[in-house]
Amino acid sequence: MSSRRQFLQTLGAGGATVVGLTACGGGGSSSGGGNNGGGNGGGGGTPPPVAPILVLVQIQGGNDWLSMMPPTSGANAGAYQTNRPALSAITANNLTDLGSGVGLNKDCTGFDLIHAAGKIAWMPGVGMSNPNLSHFTSTDYWGEGAAVPDGTGWLGRWGDAAFAATEVLRGITTTSDIMLMNHGRKRDFVAITSSADFNYPTYLRSNTVIADSNFLKSGYSYSLNNPGTVIDVSAAASEGKLFFDAASQFSGLISTRTPSVPYPGDQTYPIANVSTQLANQLKLVAQMIASGIPGQVYTVRLGGFDTHSNQVNDYPRLMRALGGSISAFYNDLASITNTVNGQSLKAQDRVMMVGWSEFGRRIKENNGGTDHGTAILSFALGNMVKGGFYGQGYPDLTHPDSNGNMVYTTDFRSVYATILEKFLGYSDSKGILGATYPTLGFV
Amino acid sequence: MATFDAQQSSWTAADVLHFARRAGFGVTPEVATTLAAQPIGATIDAWVNQSADMTAFNAALAKADVTSTGANQNLPADPAPHPFRLEGWRRQGGIPNAQGHFAWRMQFNPNSFQEKLALFYHQLFATGAEKVDNTAFTVKQIDLFRAMGTAKFGDLLLALSKDPAMLIWLDTILDRVRPGSNDVPNENYAREVMELYSLGVDNGYNQQDITNLAKAISGWTYTPLDVQADPNNPQIQRPNDATFRVNMTYHATGTIQFLGGSFDIGAPTNYGDGCIAAILTQRGTNCAAFLAKRLLTFFVNPNFSPAALTDLQALILAQNFDMKAILKLVFKSAYFFDPSNRYNLYEGPVAWLVRMSRMLCPNLATATIPALPSFPAWRAVAPYLNNSGQNLLDPAGPNGWLEHTGWINSNTARYRGKLAASLAIGETLTGSQMIFPSTVASWFPTAPTSAQAVYDRLAALLQPAPIPAPVQATWLSGLWTSGFTWDNSTATQVKVRELAFLILCSPQAQLH
Repeated sequence: MSSRRQFLQTLGAGGATVVGLTACGGGGSSSGGGNNGGGNGGGGGTPPPVAPILVLVQIQGGNDWLSMMPPTSGANAGAYQTNRPALSAITANNLTDLGSGVGLNKDCTGFDLIHAAGKIAWMPGVGMSNPNLSHFTSTDYWGEGAAVPDGTGWLGRWGDAAFAATEVLRGITTTSDIMLMNHGRKRDFVAITSSADFNYPTYLRSNTVIADSNFLKSGYSYSLNNPGTVIDVSAAASEGKLFFDAASQFSGLISTRTPSVPYPGDQTYPIANVSTQLANQLKLVAQMIASGIPGQVYTVRLGGFDTHSNQVNDYPRLMRALGGSISAFYNDLASITNTVNGQSLKAQDRVMMVGWSEFGRRIKENNGGTDHGTAILSFALGNMVKGGFYGQGYPDLTHPDSNGNMVYTTDFRSVYATILEKFLGYSDSKGILGATYPTLGFV
Repeated sequence: MATFDAQQSSWTAADVLHFARRAGFGVTPEVATTLAAQPIGATIDAWVNQSADMTAFNAALAKADVTSTGANQNLPADPAPHPFRLEGWRRQGGIPNAQGHFAWRMQFNPNSFQEKLALFYHQLFATGAEKVDNTAFTVKQIDLFRAMGTAKFGDLLLALSKDPAMLIWLDTILDRVRPGSNDVPNENYAREVMELYSLGVDNGYNQQDITNLAKAISGWTYTPLDVQADPNNPQIQRPNDATFRVNMTYHATGTIQFLGGSFDIGAPTNYGDGCIAAILTQRGTNCAAFLAKRLLTFFVNPNFSPAALTDLQALILAQNFDMKAILKLVFKSAYFFDPSNRYNLYEGPVAWLVRMSRMLCPNLATATIPALPSFPAWRAVAPYLNNSGQNLLDPAGPNGWLEHTGWINSNTARYRGKLAASLAIGETLTGSQMIFPSTVASWFPTAPTSAQAVYDRLAALLQPAPIPAPVQATWLSGLWTSGFTWDNSTATQVKVRELAFLILCSPQAQLH
């Protein structure tokens, strides 16, 4: 467990601070209280926000965050430049100084302003003791988030424990698949990939609603209530019923909405040719929030980060999609106000976005890109976030593991425990994660 | 006795239906009755050998016009519609055409096993058309699966490793190590060929093996052929075909250690081929276990027992990875036909849709060239395949799709319902043209005399797992509220189509 001093020594920055904030976490995870919002937290302290909404952003493919937040001074900077002669040359003149010996890639559009406002918590070096360099195994590890994996995901288990049976819209993914993270023992999150024609059943192209819904629903219910002894149809029956139940609530609530700010891909967005993959999902989330859809956790995804090659061209594009979409969403939320239990609440004060990726990438570049690595940069972003650096520090690039990869500094389940306990207000994170993990102080 | 030792000596029509659902895209009850009267061994051999007459299909295929090129001027002599035309310069815009073409082949190929096996390999060796950015290459890879699907697995793996779409997909063409240099290889394909395509994650290899295999295949690239210019932008020229070659400027030399063996990757007889082959020769038992797991999951039982896995692994080794021999033994085994292995596997959305279209829509024999049946359907449906859970030819990652229950979630339930509506209820594309042309009369060779008889016939065609009698009764009493009559009226057709739709949407119909 490193101290704040060790963290700064690793960065080689000599204790510089981020604008208005403490630069990095310290004091140990169980020290309690944190460092004026910049350190790791313990129990107690700030109560969870009212009616919180979590938006979890999967950065799929293995984000080369050393290109997103590279070291700029000290031993780490030297190791970075030595191992990445081509890639470091690209980022060198394209950084916003975050202090503490690190910079932020300017292509991550809008993050510099949100950071300057003190609304981003950075967690460099998040990972696990048993990293796996397979995209899929590592994604499963992140999804399971369990001391003893059992095939379910940490958010799904939280839903099992926290959601009432009728709360089918409390956990939503905007992806067309259900990631393991959203898979519970009792049920999965519901997938909503578009707000239009979210009715069942409808024609493929015309979206005309077909008047057979009661027949279909009775078929699902019968199959669930009378499980077969030989042929198991429970998966199809439960997912079909889940969609029915969600659609029946959703269609009465959802309303059309024009975003209050331009997103990537919009005609008035100032940067051309930015991927709309994440922007479209976040627009949908904003629409759902504005409509009063009772979603408490949303999962979204931006793919394309498996930058084995052509990274000089691809990574800036990826950063513009990531930063541009998230910052547009953050700004868009300022125009949304909901009444919750009689209280008028601004969406921007309720929503926290958390970014994660299955792994970081190899410290040493290959001929044009980077291969699979280990520890990641996680971040939390939102008005209730106490900006700064959290966790046990930036990995020591001068002492990689035997495969040339970063050694993680902060267990990923500490991020989950913090979300569950301090943001979602669910005190029994041990019951979800299978063990007690120290919380961080960013909420 | 090992799981696959006992072979099925005879079969019934129900057995045939089970076999055809798994080893193809289903057959009608009438075809099943015909096949059940034939010897099981010879019939399965013929099925796997793909010995059905292809004359009519090939004639129709000429109309489909998958890849027409400017350079070779091999535009087909047949008149339009050419619904699946691919031209290199169209780049990613051609993906729906390629998707439609593959699905159309699945629907009409008389050797449906050829397409089912291509689909199996496409799921196994998942390659994304968007990154490849050359739909002609993407189609070429599927053709490779058709051509070598029953060859030895090692031969297919080597051919796949040199396939131009794969060379692009996992960056082999950018794996460049100059001889004698300290260049760092790009290890993308080296990792995934073992993790995803032959051994399984961390199953018999380590990081050093990955790095060294990446060196062994450095410089692997292709020579573009049949280059075609974008008519709108002539300086952009793109190939419709390619041949493999090794670019020695970027091919590492020297001796490497790989999977416990020593390989001179600079030797002209090797250049990396030997290392790909070594995956099977050095790690044969690991590869056999990996392949057994994939075959069981796709064709037999996704919840296989450890004994079934071990026994199929042994069978694969005993047959020396000869896929034709392996598949014949699996399909003829009593284990394959065991009642516990029926309706225990959720069907992928593309296979599901294809199978249902084969049951409800006209077959190729009734086609009128050039108005071939269903030409517009698949091109129109292709954009929806992603939301149904299987963006054919363009998986998000090299691990393909999660199978079995991985096909099923609230979103795919939504889109299967939409596809079912299009298929059964007769949604029109423009005017009165159905996306999936069908007539209710063609579904009933003899007129049904009761609502239950209507259900029984539709169930025989669509072959869901048994739908509980109370559910059937609810549907039938709701549709035929005032007695049963059978006629050609619109009202009757609407009821029958709605019943087909309900069956298609049922949980039981998602299994096969």
